[in-house]
Amino acid sequence: MKLKLNTPLGRKIFGRTIRAFSISFWVMVIAFALMRVTPGDPASARLGAGAEEEAIEALREQLGLNVNPFQQFINYIRDLSQGDLGTSLVSGLPVGEIISKTFPLTLTYIAFSFFFAFLISIPIGVLIGWSNKASWVYSFRTFTSVVIATPNFFIAMVAILFFSVQRDWAPVFGYEPGFPGNMKYLWLPIAINTLILVSIISRVLLASVIDTRSEEFVETGIIRGVSRIRFFWFYILKPSLAPTIVLMSYMAGTMLGATVILETIFSLPGIGRELVGAVLASDYPVVQGILIFFGVITVFLSFFGDLFAYLLDRRVKL
Amino acid sequence: MIKRIRDYAALPGGFGIIVGVSMFLSITVIGFARPIFIPYAPDELVGDGLAAPSWQHPFGLDQLGRDMLSRVLAAVPADIGVAFLGVSIPLFIGTLIGILLAFAKNKVFLSLVGSIIDGINAFPLLIIAIAMVTFLGPGLFNVVIILALMNWARYARIARTRAQIVLRENYVEAARLMGYPRRKIIFKHVTPNVSSETLAYALSDFILVIVIISGLSFLGLGARPPAAEWGSMIADGRVFLGEAWWITVFPGLALCWSAISISLIVEGLSRRDRAS
Amino acid sequence: MKDNVLATIQDLRIDVRVTRRIRLRIVDTASLTIQKGQLLGLIGESGSGKTMLCRALVGTLNRRGAYIESGSIDFEGIDLVKAKKKDWRNIRGHKIGYIPQSALAGPNPVMRIGAQLAEAINQSGKKPSDEVRRRALELLELVQIRRPEVVLKQYPYELSGGMKQRVMIACAIAQNPKLIVADEPTTGLDVTVQAEIMELLRSIRKEFDTSIILVSHDLQLINSVCDDIVVMHAGATIEKVPSSKVTAALHPYTHALYDSRIDLVEPRGKLRTIKGQPPSVGKWPTGCRFADRCDFVKDVCRTTDPTPFAQVNENQWSACIRHKEIYGGAK
Repeated sequence: MKLKLNTPLGRKIFGRTIRAFSISFWVMVIAFALMRVTPGDPASARLGAGAEEEAIEALREQLGLNVNPFQQFINYIRDLSQGDLGTSLVSGLPVGEIISKTFPLTLTYIAFSFFFAFLISIPIGVLIGWSNKASWVYSFRTFTSVVIATPNFFIAMVAILFFSVQRDWAPVFGYEPGFPGNMKYLWLPIAINTLILVSIISRVLLASVIDTRSEEFVETGIIRGVSRIRFFWFYILKPSLAPTIVLMSYMAGTMLGATVILETIFSLPGIGRELVGAVLASDYPVVQGILIFFGVITVFLSFFGDLFAYLLDRRVKL
Repeated sequence: MIKRIRDYAALPGGFGIIVGVSMFLSITVIGFARPIFIPYAPDELVGDGLAAPSWQHPFGLDQLGRDMLSRVLAAVPADIGVAFLGVSIPLFIGTLIGILLAFAKNKVFLSLVGSIIDGINAFPLLIIAIAMVTFLGPGLFNVVIILALMNWARYARIARTRAQIVLRENYVEAARLMGYPRRKIIFKHVTPNVSSETLAYALSDFILVIVIISGLSFLGLGARPPAAEWGSMIADGRVFLGEAWWITVFPGLALCWSAISISLIVEGLSRRDRAS
Repeated sequence: MKDNVLATIQDLRIDVRVTRRIRLRIVDTASLTIQKGQLLGLIGESGSGKTMLCRALVGTLNRRGAYIESGSIDFEGIDLVKAKKKDWRNIRGHKIGYIPQSALAGPNPVMRIGAQLAEAINQSGKKPSDEVRRRALELLELVQIRRPEVVLKQYPYELSGGMKQRVMIACAIAQNPKLIVADEPTTGLDVTVQAEIMELLRSIRKEFDTSIILVSHDLQLINSVCDDIVVMHAGATIEKVPSSKVTAALHPYTHALYDSRIDLVEPRGKLRTIKGQPPSVGKWPTGCRFADRCDFVKDVCRTTDPTPFAQVNENQWSACIRHKEIYGGAK
């Protein structure tokens, strides 16, 4: 499909794209500012109180803190535009390389979680929502609100107690890459993520199916006598799906946050554990790089989520 | 009194609200009143490490031989207290900024603050909190600062949207045209309307913030030992999960208890909203 | 005369399930007949059960937890009350078309107009696509939509309220049904658009000899378009009168409705209203349900159940037991 900019649709998409890029720019600005506006000098903080003056000065230079803030910002943007996220203080590897080495694992199990969660949420949300039985709706809502309120690390600990400590089904140490061997280590984190995601996604789908159900156009659909499959798609699911899509793209960001904890618990060498390690080692460039990476990913996920939802249902505001 | 509670419970969502409020009150009251009826201090060594739950120590002892019941309750001010600060400060700042933005006329200022809000909100809250620990260092006090610096943006966005809607409302428009002073419009119409919206969000945000505080501590980035905090206790228990499940499970249950009590209230309120 | 009848509703009672045990009667003894090619107006205040009556005609009562308790709906010899899902498939669209209440929410927001028309035209899904398209364009021209080729590709949000309702009419007449049920088709539309839609309905009736049941709460509107008027009050049909004879109606409620028309008010005169509120659903008094608001009420009104309404003369029915006393027997 060729996108024309002079149509209303083209203009809307163009505007939203501009917005995504400008938010990304601000994400970089904030990531830059965090290290500079916090009290104290990062270099001396990292090296400790007893460090020599020359060592601190050397580190300041390595971090690019030895010039004035404006020049620092120019250098920072210049490096970023060349795809240079800096170099790790601990391993000496470029941050971009660290991310590209650790992110695939994280992406794998998040993608699996979303796939299963979507698959499970649709029948649950549609069945309970379409029945609109008050007792079902409220018991389901209560159950999911309990799951949502439970911190994922506590769910993980209980799961480990059952599946790893009492039975040796899900090892929590010694991750081995390579499919399908890695599934032995990944199935439990995927299951936990899926449980949490299902609770969130199906709630929203349920609410929009209930809304759709009382719409006038559903009546006309029934009266028109459309086939069961067409009815399910065009009169139940498609008009209800947009809020779910928007939420899922938003949840993707939250899930990235949650990976930090799950990867630590299950000793998975993903990007989340890398971040925690970098924080504990005061490895500023790595922290900053991963922060930017997460921020930009979240911005563009929500951009594509909005866009997809809009193409599905024109009532969505872009 | 009892009759009034019973009447309230009969309203849609009333039962959930009452259960939630009593769950929340019970854990806070017991938590703050702990010194009265628990004879052990949270950091006092009272027996062998990893002793199982008994009549004397219903929640067992941890790896160092500290009473778990005392520690779980001692963590109430740390978790619920910090979460309260971590919600109320951003709530106040965010609502204020949001309302000001709705009134602001200066284009440059508007787009600048708007972009900062969008930029901050782009980061998952837990991620940006973790990153800030790198620069500020661990500790519960720093967690409060981080939440104050980063969480207001979500409130500001809600408040700005709401305030803009209120300002377009006919009665406010009329008040403006009749030349009511701005201050009066803000206080009489905009503030109550906006704050009811941000307060509602604050309630559900409370759950998220409790999870973030305990999550940071779980990772060793929040509360520092020997302070009693649920997340860090769960982390302590991780190594002993096989031989001493109580170190992990009881703090976890306390955490769930608090979060679920709030979510029952949120659920009840939303059910009441839908019924009316 | 008898073989000219298209559909007859006889003593229909509709209940709705409120909870597992509580039932609420929302339509209680409604009867009407509609002739071939007739434009029948159905009028009543909100809560009088007119929408439920429409839903009974298209078989979508159970969606809102309602069901037909007793009575019959005869449509060309088929009893719709006993119709199975399979039977409905042949009736809806093919024989009975439906125009929904609110023009704004009528069309499916996630489908293009063309797709929705295609659905209405091609229920079986067996017609070739160019034939469907030709028919869709023909229908849009019929309902006087300009640039139909463009509209086919548009989504409902791109159309105005009047346009949407024209599309809904096009969908309803796609299969040349014998009866069209139009449930307050002009709610939320401008007065000028309203008049255009009414004119359109009238021309469709004329061209295809379709019967139309037009539901409204606006007596003036109904009176100006329809042949016959059926008045509903508190779940019952209480009067049937030709629109030309509405001033000679035989039920105090019809008169009250007619007199409360706004255009009767002289400058600076007082607006005439009907005193009191209609009895709320499920709390209907025994006897005449209009008794509390009626100027001519007597004790006998409160004890005698006037439903179902009785035929007074050739084309007039009334549920007022004292109509002879009050109006002296209509001619």
